[in-house]
Amino acid sequence: MARYQEGDFAAATALVEGISPQLHRFFVAQLASRSDADDLLQETWLRIHRVRHTYRSGEPVLPWFYAIARHVRVDHYRKAMRTRAHEQRLAEISTAAATVSGEARPADDLRDLLAPLPESQREVIEMLKVAGMSLEEVARATSTSVGSVKQKVHRAYRKLRETMSAMGNRKGQSGGQA
Amino acid sequence: MTDREIDEALKRVSQTPHAVEPEFLGRIAGSIKASLQPVRRLPPTWTFACGLALTCTAVAVAGAARAGFYGIEKMSLLQRALIFPVIGILFWVAATEFVNTMIPGSRSRLSPGALLGIGSVVLVGVSGLLFRDYRTDRFFSVGMVCLLTGLLHAIPAGLLSWLVLRRGFAVNPTSAGLVAGTVAGLAGVGLLELHCPNFRPFMYWYGTPPWNL
Repeated sequence: MARYQEGDFAAATALVEGISPQLHRFFVAQLASRSDADDLLQETWLRIHRVRHTYRSGEPVLPWFYAIARHVRVDHYRKAMRTRAHEQRLAEISTAAATVSGEARPADDLRDLLAPLPESQREVIEMLKVAGMSLEEVARATSTSVGSVKQKVHRAYRKLRETMSAMGNRKGQSGGQA
Repeated sequence: MTDREIDEALKRVSQTPHAVEPEFLGRIAGSIKASLQPVRRLPPTWTFACGLALTCTAVAVAGAARAGFYGIEKMSLLQRALIFPVIGILFWVAATEFVNTMIPGSRSRLSPGALLGIGSVVLVGVSGLLFRDYRTDRFFSVGMVCLLTGLLHAIPAGLLSWLVLRRGFAVNPTSAGLVAGTVAGLAGVGLLELHCPNFRPFMYWYGTPPWNL
């Protein structure tokens, strides 16, 4: 990161290649389509590049990246909400076109797993359990306290337990009927 | 379904490789290459906090020097010894949080809303304990003068604070605005303590930071 701040292109490329898959998975886990995740990743890198001077050596790097990615996603979501009404028709057409051309991919396992959770819990679980960040790092990335992160994880697990148990029961019932 | 099973499911998912097309990553790297120049890193938090403290103190003292130090002259030694350190501590906490909001991934001890609320309650509480004149006559006419005087000095303090921190605000401009309002508001309160000889605690309502957002 320090070399990237000094203008080293090789270091910048290494960072882009090293961090991008994690950030891309973060966006996909937030229920973004793959093409949306691509756009968000590109936008994130542009913002990272613009504010690269704000990273301080010695500080954990992942919360810095994720804090920026998180705000790019929030901005994108706000913009999408504003234009949703106008673009609804267009989105229907493009989804149909994508399905016909075979570009649509099956949803990721992670996305399916975290789908029942609200956004704030989903991002915390993704950072903590998938990206492997510590509670302190997640708290930094989400600008909250460690206590708040723990609370979100606790609620997310409760919700996941309920959802998975309900799914298990349904499967059991359908199996019994067969 | 137990927590362990959820952990295992998440672990399985996290171990699945998530690939992004190399050409796409190459394009991203290429897009930043053109503007890839060395950048000057930000100084430590305390440097910024000191810069903000100096700026806001200068605004408050300059304002009081122009308008007169009637407030501090009328205060007892005990009142002076308590009210200014309280404002100073609140200011330092607000300034540190202000700097933290401009750096992505910084440790945040207080949310901007909590900081604003705590700052206002502490100010009104301390003034209620120190100044026992609880009259409310001419509440609006006198209060509006306090509000205007505080605002007139909070605005330049806010603008100068922005100048000190102009290289930041990378992620959350709303939070940064809230904390900036608190910092600027405290500069206005500092000026009123130095200048205004009206020590009615209810008047502190006009000097609390939310007015300066």
